[in-house]
Amino acid sequence: MTTEKSAMVSVTNLTKSFGTVVAVNNISFEVKPGEIFGILGPNGAGKTTTIKQILGLLEQEQGEIRVFGLDPGTDDIEIKRNIGYVSEDPLIYKSMTPRMLFNFIASIRGMDESETTEKLQYYFESFEAVEYYDKLVATLSRGNKQKMQVIAALIHDPLLLIMDEPLTGLDAKSAKVVKEILDLHKERGGSVIFSTHILEVAEEMCDRIAIMDRGKIIAMGTVEELSKMVNKVGADLEDIFLKLTNQDESVNHIVKNLRNMMNCNKRS
Amino acid sequence: MLNNKDLYRISKRVYREGILQGQLQSAGSDQARFLEKIDKDKMQRSPDIILKVMSAIYIAGLVTIPIFSLITIHSTLGSGIDSSWVTFVGGLSISGFLVMQPAVLLIFSFMFTWGLMSGGPYKWIHTLPLGKKDIERIGFFTFLRSINVQLISMSLVLPAGIVTSIVLVLGSEISVLSLVLLIITSIFLSIINLVFNLSLLVIISRKMAIIMGDQEVNSRKTNIIRVLSMVLYMTVSMGAMYLIQIAIAKIPELYVLQSWSAGTTNIVNIVLSILPFPFAGGYLLTIMAMDVSNVSGVLLGSSILGIILFVFLTYLVYRKALSTLRKITSTELKKYSKEKKEVFVEDIKIKTNGPTIAFLKRDFAIITREMSSVMILIMPFMIPLYMLFIPMEAQQLIGSAGLTFVMIMALFYVSMVSVMLVIGLTNIESGGSTITASLPISVRDQVKSKLPHFLVTIPLALIVAMLTKIGTSQFIIMISFALAFLPVIPIIGLASLFFKARLFGKMKHKIVLEEIKNENKFVKHVLVIVFTFVLMGVFIFISAYGFIYLGIAEVVAAILLYVTYNVMFPKQ
Ligand SMILES: Nc1ncnc2c1ncn2[C@@H]1O[C@H](COP(=O)(O)OP(=O)(O)OP(=O)(O)O)[C@@H](O)[C@H]1O
Ligand SMILES: [Mg+2]
Repeated sequence: MTTEKSAMVSVTNLTKSFGTVVAVNNISFEVKPGEIFGILGPNGAGKTTTIKQILGLLEQEQGEIRVFGLDPGTDDIEIKRNIGYVSEDPLIYKSMTPRMLFNFIASIRGMDESETTEKLQYYFESFEAVEYYDKLVATLSRGNKQKMQVIAALIHDPLLLIMDEPLTGLDAKSAKVVKEILDLHKERGGSVIFSTHILEVAEEMCDRIAIMDRGKIIAMGTVEELSKMVNKVGADLEDIFLKLTNQDESVNHIVKNLRNMMNCNKRS
Repeated sequence: MLNNKDLYRISKRVYREGILQGQLQSAGSDQARFLEKIDKDKMQRSPDIILKVMSAIYIAGLVTIPIFSLITIHSTLGSGIDSSWVTFVGGLSISGFLVMQPAVLLIFSFMFTWGLMSGGPYKWIHTLPLGKKDIERIGFFTFLRSINVQLISMSLVLPAGIVTSIVLVLGSEISVLSLVLLIITSIFLSIINLVFNLSLLVIISRKMAIIMGDQEVNSRKTNIIRVLSMVLYMTVSMGAMYLIQIAIAKIPELYVLQSWSAGTTNIVNIVLSILPFPFAGGYLLTIMAMDVSNVSGVLLGSSILGIILFVFLTYLVYRKALSTLRKITSTELKKYSKEKKEVFVEDIKIKTNGPTIAFLKRDFAIITREMSSVMILIMPFMIPLYMLFIPMEAQQLIGSAGLTFVMIMALFYVSMVSVMLVIGLTNIESGGSTITASLPISVRDQVKSKLPHFLVTIPLALIVAMLTKIGTSQFIIMISFALAFLPVIPIIGLASLFFKARLFGKMKHKIVLEEIKNENKFVKHVLVIVFTFVLMGVFIFISAYGFIYLGIAEVVAAILLYVTYNVMFPKQ
């Protein structure tokens, strides 16, 4: 972690394809300590693929990734000690209860019992999930599974949080809790990479945003910088996003067509 | 209402969905890679076909029993043995066949059907504008699909067996009327049996799915019930198969070995033939094969009565199965326990273990809830069972040669158990979760948690197997043989584990237990199996030169294995 103070994560010329689909096409970016870095993009843009590569969950193809100055392909254990990851879909062992799950996690991470217990109690209370502690994960609702994932990512105070749409399924209150936690995390010098579709959230929370489309980063910077790029001072992120991904025209078009169609088929 | 053809077509989607759900679940954190593969590889898309064909072949193999019985009946009939005794043994052996059919069907088809029985794949069907009746029928068709190949095999076995034996010997010996009756009876029986066995399968799979999927509070009690019922299922079904196999082997002896007077036999025959399953069918077929003139009218009457009862019983079981299927396709599935257990913050407590123990605990939690991995736990226990039955036959083989043969078979059986453990245990690793994907897991720890199975469980099972022979004259020889081979067992198992890891798992510079390199999966699995068996063969071969050489080989192999272990899974 001492090797590169300047960047927690650096990605250079990363490319990954699945068969003929180029999911990630030659992208580069850096995430600095104390920074919340957002990845925005339409469905299938390559956000999840990028994130999985950073974690070393997909075989690397082209380009270079450094996390804390280490290569996720070889030093994944060292990297994972200091990362908290929330995946796109909460795939937790269905046949375990949160109790078994967190005992397992704490054991693998070699964490202190009493300290972890304290944190865990705190998190479960904040997310109002205490009553699910002995239920099978399979029976939890989507949002509650997501909470388990989020808690599992936070429990060891990692330096870097990587969250793939962490707010999906969470109710307003829990979403607020997560946002607060991310802010605190940042204040303590930690970094966050997170992908989202919710533009307001990105606008509100992210220090810098990368907009991805069809595997490429088409724009990157603070919200102000991005709004300059579209020559619209004070534009909100939605305008910027649609403009940059060339969707503003097509959205108008779609909306018009929809109107027409629905008018024709008026319910009698 | 849609017609049956449409519904059958829809059931294909439900069935595929069920299969895919199972695959995805076991792919776990590896889903992305799995989906990438499934797009390219047709084999991945129907993983069920190999098992289906295999079980169909196994079921077809049962055809030997009726053929064998019919031929023996005829050769003994003329030799002056009392016809009531021939009826008795013939009825018994064909009844054995009738019992074995559902046993084999259960053992081999359970894997496919129990996933469907959990109801998951039917969920999206409810979002479609389909009537309740339609959904029920889709449920039925989906179930049929899951065992279609086996069904074809099963319905053909009996008539095929009868026809074969007619062609082989009986044709020239019995009247045309009897031949026609025999064939008609076999077809009739085959149909009734099919319905009966199918319904049984539905009911039992459902019971198991409920027990396994009991989603409520995770109390120790439900865990124990779960494990026990699975052990029971495996033991009963496998044990039944062994028993029947042995019975079959003994049948020729039985024919000439009348133990009771003709009068007693007659009464026993009549009583048994009224019992609807499996005896009525067995008797009726035997009677038909014997030429009705050789059989008393009372016996004919009682077995026909038995068959009528059997038809009635089948109807009842069928009704029960239908209502079971109905429940499965409705959305509400889970049973909820009555008492509500309140959890308070203070109850949240972390208890940590070393990584190895943590893995063992996790494995146990998963294994006890997934039928496909339950085998892992059960297999080693089958070794003693195997020993209990097999040597009885070997006693007929002469002296020490027979004994050596039995021991060698036992060792190969142990190898098979080891391979199954290897495959099962690594499957658990591959079926990880997204949470494990982000944990700093050292592969060495992961491997360590698999060691107890090979170092303790299997060797222990072999020792226990030998202990079942205490008091027999061969005990000393057998136990010394087992002790001499004891070190070979973990060697074989671990070598197999490392080999599989080498074939399937590599991510950059280190080897992992997960199945990462999935291409040519089938060939690789075969390689692992062959490797294990050949290795065992080599040890057996060496032991033929004397146990001293075996000892040397064991030491050398152990050292090699230890070095391999350190190279493949180095300390971090
Ligand atoms: N395992 C895979 N096999 C084949 N193609 C894949 C796989 N994973 C992703 N892809 C493809 O790669 C592209 C990028 O997918 P990715 O999941 O990274 O998008 P995303 O930006 O996360 O989308 P979303 O907003 O829907 O989550 C898509 O075209 C997708 O179809
Ligand atoms: Mg995504």
